[in-house]
Amino acid sequence: MKNDFRMQYPLWMMGFIVVLGMFAYGVSSPATEIVNTETVQSISIELGPIAGFFAVGAAALYILLLAGFIFQLTRHNRKNPTQKVSAFSIRPPEYLEQDEGMTYITRKASQKVYTFMSWSLPMLAVFAIFSPLPNLFTVWGILLIALIQYLIYYLEIRKHFKEETE
Amino acid sequence: MLKNRVKELRARYGFTQSDLGKQVDVTRQTIAFIEKGEFSPSITLSLKLAKALQTNVNELFWLEEDSNEK
Repeated sequence: MKNDFRMQYPLWMMGFIVVLGMFAYGVSSPATEIVNTETVQSISIELGPIAGFFAVGAAALYILLLAGFIFQLTRHNRKNPTQKVSAFSIRPPEYLEQDEGMTYITRKASQKVYTFMSWSLPMLAVFAIFSPLPNLFTVWGILLIALIQYLIYYLEIRKHFKEETE
Repeated sequence: MLKNRVKELRARYGFTQSDLGKQVDVTRQTIAFIEKGEFSPSITLSLKLAKALQTNVNELFWLEEDSNEK
């Protein structure tokens, strides 16, 4: 069960979020030049060396992560034909609901996440309204909340499985 | 607090958590949660467990008395 893909799903999402945060940094500060004359129309976007490194590196990392994710997802679905996971499902695949015990721990973990979201999102909204910082910080704030919610969920589920004994 | 003898009776009949889980159609983890008292099963599952362990629900589950009530 500990190696169940659905249990590891939050970790994958956390990985994607970190990569997205790197990518956001990389693409948020390019020097943009727009030329619009009668004869020439062009847009050039120039990334600085560090920003470029983050943007390209994050894109490459994303592809690697995606390949690993698809591999694990396919393997899980092959091994568990009755409990297939869809990457495009609206319902979070990390929900464990095979029986009432699993539903119970999923509910406990979801409650913790909901509690966190209920105060963190309004706080982020206030931050975004009043902060003089660039939009990138708001994006990072959103990503941080998303990361923490997966972390809370994962740790809560893991706690129950860690304690179990045969 | 709900107490139970699932672990004791399971051991008596030589069942693993997986064996018992299969008999009552739940995962091994759910049996573990019940044994630890972490999770109170539904009436349906309690009846299934009692049947699998050849006992009745009252023998299998009970509420721990509050010391003030004695």
